[in-house]
Amino acid sequence: MKKIIYSILATLSGLVLLFSYRTSLGEEISPVPADVAAPAAESTPTPTDQGTGGTSGTTRGSGLVDGTYAGQSVRTRFGPVQVSLTVSGGAISAVDVVQYPDTNSRDRQINERAIPQLVSETLDAQSADIHMVSGATYTSEGYLQSLQSAIDQAQS
Amino acid sequence: MSPVIAVRPHRQVWTEQIMGTVVSIHAVTRTGAPERGATEAAAAFAALREVDRVFSTYRADSDISRLRRGECAVASLDPRVAEVAAACTAWEAATAGRFSADWRGWFDPTGFVKGWAVESAARAHLAPLLADDDVVAVGINAGGDLQLFTAPGADWVWRVGIADPTRPGVVLATVDVVDGAVATSGLAERGAHIVDPRSGAPARGVASASVIADGLAAADVWATSAVVAGMDELAWIQDAGTRTGILIGDDGRVRRWIRSTEVSVVGADPDLATIA
Repeated sequence: MKKIIYSILATLSGLVLLFSYRTSLGEEISPVPADVAAPAAESTPTPTDQGTGGTSGTTRGSGLVDGTYAGQSVRTRFGPVQVSLTVSGGAISAVDVVQYPDTNSRDRQINERAIPQLVSETLDAQSADIHMVSGATYTSEGYLQSLQSAIDQAQS
Repeated sequence: MSPVIAVRPHRQVWTEQIMGTVVSIHAVTRTGAPERGATEAAAAFAALREVDRVFSTYRADSDISRLRRGECAVASLDPRVAEVAAACTAWEAATAGRFSADWRGWFDPTGFVKGWAVESAARAHLAPLLADDDVVAVGINAGGDLQLFTAPGADWVWRVGIADPTRPGVVLATVDVVDGAVATSGLAERGAHIVDPRSGAPARGVASASVIADGLAAADVWATSAVVAGMDELAWIQDAGTRTGILIGDDGRVRRWIRSTEVSVVGADPDLATIA
């Protein structure tokens, strides 16, 4: 039973990575299995106890027990990725990415980050080099007050 | 042996007022290379002005205005009117009626035309610039809706800021795009201007919906549809084929997704083996 959950989690970690990264060369990056991954700069993650993470709950027809499960941290060439699953009523109700690779300057150059990152989640976004701004349509007058206008004028 | 000097690519910007907003075109070229893109940017602007001439609901002499007054049939108008009408019908079905060109009781495809026109103009006039080895990237921003291109193998990522719907000039989130489109719909500047075509009532709850997809026509329709769907309805991502996106609620609530899966980043604690 636990095995099912963790195999789903491993798959999800892989999916997150597949969706997360595409190099500027257009190369599709496949998740690297932990046991063959090149040694990462980070300290080696200790194997996650597969018995932890589950909570007791009701078993439904799907064989999934309600609760929240944390997947093992999967090492990839970009850093560790960890995903958690919430099972509710025997069905997967939520997928959370609890750990994803830090974006260092090199990664930022070669990777396309998967999801919009809230500024509050990142340390550097306030000073980030924003190239374009997406927002609800502004009028010609509104443009003059917009951040896009400032970017347009700040030619490099 | 010449020393290696880190250089930033050179960026040129052109802006023009079209379709009631401002359109910005950026061309990024290698430092030291001759500037490129002025001709192509002018051609893209011209294409957008031409589309506006046909589709503007503000111009009495546009094809759309003539159609509305019943002066002529679709068949006798610019062939793009029929093309857009067919596309709008297909999008109305794809969005389960959350997007409709008939929401005012007459054919007003404005909600589709901008994204469609900008994508078309960008693909026709800007994307071909990438064939030049000196061009790193080129992109267009039409009133907050973007279509972006990067040369294959180029060391460039468009960093896109998503405007905070409640604080002008402030970026709430960022998303990196190499090639693709970003559209944002919301109530920010023009007030409650998105109506649920199924009820005729103004959409509520979503302050801003941003959708990232391959093309701007699709991204724009899904962003509008997401505002109509509201903060509590995200099942539409299953079949939408969008890459990712973010909903920002009136109450500050945030929902995000990758492809057809909702994702919430709950923290980066490396020791989260037991979070239950």
